[in-house]
Amino acid sequence: MGNKQTIFTEEQLDAYQVRYSNTFIAAKVNILQSQLHGRYHELAPHLVPMDYTNNPDVKLPLALIINMPELKENPFRNRIVESFSEDGLGNISFNDFVDMFSVLSETAPRELKAIYAFKIYDFNTDNFICKEDLEKTLNKLTREELTPEEVNLVCEKAIEEADMDGDNKLCFTDFENMISRAPDFLR
Amino acid sequence: MADKQASGSFLRLMSEESQASDLIIVFCDDHQETILDQGRCQGAPRRSLGGYSEDEDAWYPTRRWDRNVPLRNLPVSMQEKRDIRDRRNLQRRTIGCWESWRRSQRTVRRRMLEQMVQALSALQLWGRTLHSIEGRFGVSVKVYFVFLRYLVYLNLFNCLLTGALIQAPVFIFRNNIYSSTFKENDSYLDFFLGTGFLERSPVFYGFYTRGSLDGKCLNTPILFLLGVFSVLIFSLVMLVRRTVNGYKHKWMLSGRYNFSMSFKVFCSWDFCIHEPKSAAFKQSNIRNDLKMDLEEERFELLKSQRTLKVRVKIYFLRILLNTVVVILLGAAFCLIYIGTKYSHQQKDSKNYPWLYSLLLQYLPPIIITLVNFMLPHIFRVIVKFEDYSFTSQVNITLVRCIFLKLACLALFLFFLYDTLQKSPQNNQSCWENQFGKEMYKLLVFDLLATFTDTFFIMLPKKLLSEMYPECFLLKVMGRQKFLIQLNVLDLVYTQTVTWVGLFYCPMLTQICVCKLFAIFYIKKFAVQRCCKPTQRMFRASTSSVLFHFVLLLGLLMAFVVLGINLNKLKPSPTCGPFLGSSTVFNVTTMCVDSLPVHVGDFIKFMSSEAFAVPLIVVEILFLTSSMSLRSANNKCIERLKDMLVTCSSDKWYLVKQQAAWLQDQRSPQQSSSRAGSVEGSAPPEPRAHLDFHPLPERSVSQPCDTEPVPTHSRPPWNES
Repeated sequence: MGNKQTIFTEEQLDAYQVRYSNTFIAAKVNILQSQLHGRYHELAPHLVPMDYTNNPDVKLPLALIINMPELKENPFRNRIVESFSEDGLGNISFNDFVDMFSVLSETAPRELKAIYAFKIYDFNTDNFICKEDLEKTLNKLTREELTPEEVNLVCEKAIEEADMDGDNKLCFTDFENMISRAPDFLR
Repeated sequence: MADKQASGSFLRLMSEESQASDLIIVFCDDHQETILDQGRCQGAPRRSLGGYSEDEDAWYPTRRWDRNVPLRNLPVSMQEKRDIRDRRNLQRRTIGCWESWRRSQRTVRRRMLEQMVQALSALQLWGRTLHSIEGRFGVSVKVYFVFLRYLVYLNLFNCLLTGALIQAPVFIFRNNIYSSTFKENDSYLDFFLGTGFLERSPVFYGFYTRGSLDGKCLNTPILFLLGVFSVLIFSLVMLVRRTVNGYKHKWMLSGRYNFSMSFKVFCSWDFCIHEPKSAAFKQSNIRNDLKMDLEEERFELLKSQRTLKVRVKIYFLRILLNTVVVILLGAAFCLIYIGTKYSHQQKDSKNYPWLYSLLLQYLPPIIITLVNFMLPHIFRVIVKFEDYSFTSQVNITLVRCIFLKLACLALFLFFLYDTLQKSPQNNQSCWENQFGKEMYKLLVFDLLATFTDTFFIMLPKKLLSEMYPECFLLKVMGRQKFLIQLNVLDLVYTQTVTWVGLFYCPMLTQICVCKLFAIFYIKKFAVQRCCKPTQRMFRASTSSVLFHFVLLLGLLMAFVVLGINLNKLKPSPTCGPFLGSSTVFNVTTMCVDSLPVHVGDFIKFMSSEAFAVPLIVVEILFLTSSMSLRSANNKCIERLKDMLVTCSSDKWYLVKQQAAWLQDQRSPQQSSSRAGSVEGSAPPEPRAHLDFHPLPERSVSQPCDTEPVPTHSRPPWNES
């Protein structure tokens, strides 16, 4: 950015315990803060103030966030933004924005990612991944290029594999159990 | 309540309760929520899980009050993190300074460790290249390059070992001065043949003499032996460690937890994709993968429906084709034998032009490389006729290729050993150098072949296909693919040759490192410039466990070859650190004899049978106990899984009971007609419900404001 004016107070910088996202070299926290603020500001320059020292309450709508280059090609972008927003509809404040980048970065711990992944895949937000959620996931993943019977077969098989307590839905414990055994080819 | 469903060799309980009607489920869900989230008001935001009070069970295990969890690992919003931080700060003031110092030390240590790990992972070789390759070609191609990088690290450490134990003592304690000048008869061909200049250099065995380091136990020959064996044992330890870890993850767990379909649905999307083309490509990959899975299931179904006649025909065809494969392998081995014999016979004649004699010298490596280039493609064609599922096809071809590669090398070494043993020892001016030269030639030719293949076969094909896309010949040959398994087998071959030849050509590890670096850049060029990403994903055998296992096989072969050579062949009397001894192990016997009596006796005892047999018996005991422990744990796991299902169905049963009772509470006038439709064993339970859960009464009474609140606490149907 190059501008010398302070965007955040020291206290705010302390409060944002952000992780380093996708960089190989650890950057200083306040540089990353300015970068993230710059990105947030770019999305809606007329809405987002440059100076955050008095904690303004600004929320950006879903439509602006999902056009960011990192999210544009992601089939789950709507769900991602919704699960990080406080009202569940996709209106993101700067806090939520930082949160989102923080969790999606490389260095976030696996348990945290598993929790948010569960929220993302839970389309009807009933704290279970049921068959309809799975079907929606699969359709988004393959751009609806599989026939309905194939979708049905795959979803049934996935639930049969991962469901541990026999209720035909995946609760968070089932999901976490399955994710923790995902193969890491490159260990 | 529950019925059993067979899956594999264990029975799984399937809950019948969960298949209840939708109406009850919806009702139960509503009430489950009102039951479970007490303090939550209706309009509260869905996302903030902090709405749950601290004593309750959220749907994920809460660890907010565990002070050791760093704030940024908690799945709550920024605002809540600030609240928790303030609360923790408050608590910090109320605890003593010793406790707070300990905690701050813990956080400092944790942060330092994290930073170190990040710095180390940033320092890894070729990090960015691998990242970009993964982005374009997917994870399976990256597996090859990661394997290559692992071999580079292994060989670098081996270089350190050989440098310290083999090369350094010889250079330091050398009697005559080593001059690396070119003499009259040397030529550039020496780099390819290993003669002349190279023969006098530290590359080959002949350079290493006893020198002035001549103690009883600390002398150059012992250090030489120590160096070679430490390299082999270190490699063995690293490989076994990796193979066992991978085996644990891949085969033991996947036998019990077979999540392949779930992984494909939940874990296959790469969240780092930016470009629309890569996204479309990834999506078609996923779709093809799923279609292949379904295709395989259909194949299995068809297979189980085959009639006897069809099955006999298929078995006959398979036997025929396997015979063809065996014949091909036999022909390849004969070719190698002829080549080795001819090359050895013509070795000493100097009448031929230099190119012809160069080719003659390189005849065995040329034959081996040609055979390994052509036969795998033939195997791939043959296996298509044998009527296996796609995964089995890939696996069978891979097994055949592995066998081909390792058997060719083993046979070549056997013929070499045979030749060296048969020819009279006096004529061989230094048979160890001869052996080392053959290994050196194998490595050099393999590098040349890789280079030629990339720049003179793949690159022209790619340029042609760009200039004339409709050419018929190119269509017949098909699109260029990066065949991961074959490339990995080449790496395994390189590493095996390095291990086998290490004793006779001590600088082979350094040469191998240079070669691996060259191969990395050549293959990187090949992948990025000459190949297109494939639409079908590779199945089954891209797991690195299999590759490490094959590498382990190569290492075992190296051990066997070295063992046979050291035991059966006498060290040559004119060169090397062991000249004058009848066997290589004379130096170790001398060292052991020079030690104090008790230590020497102890060492002799350890290498005798009296020690080996009890050791084997103890190991067998350990194995048996581990196996019985394992089967006991298996049974325990199955029981626990059944318990999970029963607990869940119990929960549903109770929720349904609750829902039915609450519905009765709401509409008491309909209760008499519904008396019979509720669970038969109902009557005593609802009262128990009242005792256990007084709370639902409160939460349900809100929507029931308009109706008269029931004045009696007994369930309505008890009246009738």
